[in-house]
Amino acid sequence: MAVVTSSGEPRTPARAPTPTTPVRPRAQVIGRVVVYTLLTILALVFFVPFLWSVSTSLKTLPDANEFSLLPPNPTLAGYREALTTFDFAQYALNSAIVAAAVTACNVLLASLGGYAFARLRFPGRNFLFLLVLATLMIPDQLRLVPVYQMLTGLELINTRRGYVLIYLVQATSLFLMRQYFLSLPKDLEEAAKLDNAGYFKTFWKVMLPLAAPAVAGVAILAFQGAWNEFFWPLLIFQDRGLYTLPIGITQFVFTYQTNWPPLMAASVISILPIFLMFVFLQRYFVAGAAAAAVKG
Amino acid sequence: MTTLLEPTVGGKAPDAEPAGRAQKRKEMLVGYAFVAIPMAIFLAFFIFPMVYAVYISVFDWGVRGKIESVGLANYQELVRDELFWRAVRNTVVYALEVVALQTPLGLLLALIVNAGIRGRTFFRAAFYFPSLASSAAITAIFIFILNAGGLFNRILGFFGLPDDIAWFADDRFALHAIVGLNAWTTSGTIMLFYLAYLQSIPTDVYEAAAIDGTSRWRTFWKITMPLLKPGHFFVLTVSIIGALKVFDQAYIVSRGEGGPNYSTLTIVLQLYRSAINDLRFGYAAAMGVFLFVFLFTVTLVQKRLFGNTEAS
Repeated sequence: MAVVTSSGEPRTPARAPTPTTPVRPRAQVIGRVVVYTLLTILALVFFVPFLWSVSTSLKTLPDANEFSLLPPNPTLAGYREALTTFDFAQYALNSAIVAAAVTACNVLLASLGGYAFARLRFPGRNFLFLLVLATLMIPDQLRLVPVYQMLTGLELINTRRGYVLIYLVQATSLFLMRQYFLSLPKDLEEAAKLDNAGYFKTFWKVMLPLAAPAVAGVAILAFQGAWNEFFWPLLIFQDRGLYTLPIGITQFVFTYQTNWPPLMAASVISILPIFLMFVFLQRYFVAGAAAAAVKG
Repeated sequence: MTTLLEPTVGGKAPDAEPAGRAQKRKEMLVGYAFVAIPMAIFLAFFIFPMVYAVYISVFDWGVRGKIESVGLANYQELVRDELFWRAVRNTVVYALEVVALQTPLGLLLALIVNAGIRGRTFFRAAFYFPSLASSAAITAIFIFILNAGGLFNRILGFFGLPDDIAWFADDRFALHAIVGLNAWTTSGTIMLFYLAYLQSIPTDVYEAAAIDGTSRWRTFWKITMPLLKPGHFFVLTVSIIGALKVFDQAYIVSRGEGGPNYSTLTIVLQLYRSAINDLRFGYAAAMGVFLFVFLFTVTLVQKRLFGNTEAS
């Protein structure tokens, strides 16, 4: 699967060398108008839900269903309530803790493993790598009961350690690192070998720095995945004190459905960090989508 | 692909270069050390659970472990369980609708973004972003927008349409409302996939069409669509499999119950309820096995239908 180039020029159908047909410009103008009209409508459809939630998070409860994008009586009360009364400060911290742990483990283990799969020779290497790819075919839902039983047996249900353990390293992270190491030239490694540097030193001092873009990509995708993850935290975290943001939002919906301003504030708090990451690090996310293609 | 059995394995190579052999041995040990933890995780939490799920599914299995062996009774019950089949029907209806909606929408977005417009990077980002945001947060936003007095009804009212429907609380609409929400979320990903395939179509075919004076409409149907066949295969496979596993949104809008009136009960939601609410782990494991076989069959059927056009 080809990667979407972030800078690449659009490949529009090339025009005929000379515009011999006089109708052409007019048809083109109409085409433009159609495209931009469609674009405006679609952009509205995609923006409005986000804008509406930000706007509501700044409204008072009586104004919440008012049909106005600008809050008539703007207030931060929704955020204050969400963060204090409804514990979303705690949930955000919990999300940050598990996401940071998952990210650190993924980066470390996937880069070591990816390097070994790409560059070291050992018997069974290809078989083991096929096994890694095969795990992508196993639906999480089939694993629900057995993993729940195993974590219960290990007394890791309702602990952060249990959650981080099952996410310690993901197949996609390993795959991305391996692909990147495969694409690096071999001469630097060989120079290090001649210097009699050990394998770990070669990896740590020479290869890992070269793989910095892949490391950044893996880190960002692992963080985003763990920050948003719903299925396993719902299963594993049963104490309120451990809830991550998505679980906190869900419990809020179940309990106080129509207290809209704090609910929208909590949603904004949950979306904002990923939004900022996306704005500044867009190309990694786009590359991640291409990596998701591997799962097919 | 065939380095599986390197000559070094048996250590049969004659004493040529003992230093080289020691080196290879060291490389091998380092290799195993580097992949040891990941492989342990994959074996323990992916490969083994697959087998374990099948094992659990032939037991009456409670929260404290197995109670008694029941053979295939869980599967027999599954076949007769009307609520489960309701969930299967809901899931299939959901998957067909969401794929029918998000695939053309994703393709349309890709074509627009690819059409040499101003600000294409911006629009591409805007359309893709919903795919990256938390499913729980987005579901909360849609619960708000689709509530009886919410924004969506206000807009319908503005156009003189019925404006008092509580979309997620009405069993005629709840499942379709989830379709709408997820099509909105996922079409940006579909767009990115199609963009990659669109950009891999060589420009000279378009040049030829332009010289022939073929209209854009015809060019699209006669050239672009057929050349996108591997793209269609990939997009459909990924999105159908993803749609059949729908859970988060159904769980949140129905307070974990699949309501109203079981209209949003999906296969995975019913599996979750059997395990976590009813503590019937054996039965839930049987559902998991069913789901796996179902997804696998769907993938095989799609491979058959689309022939050998798989993307590289």
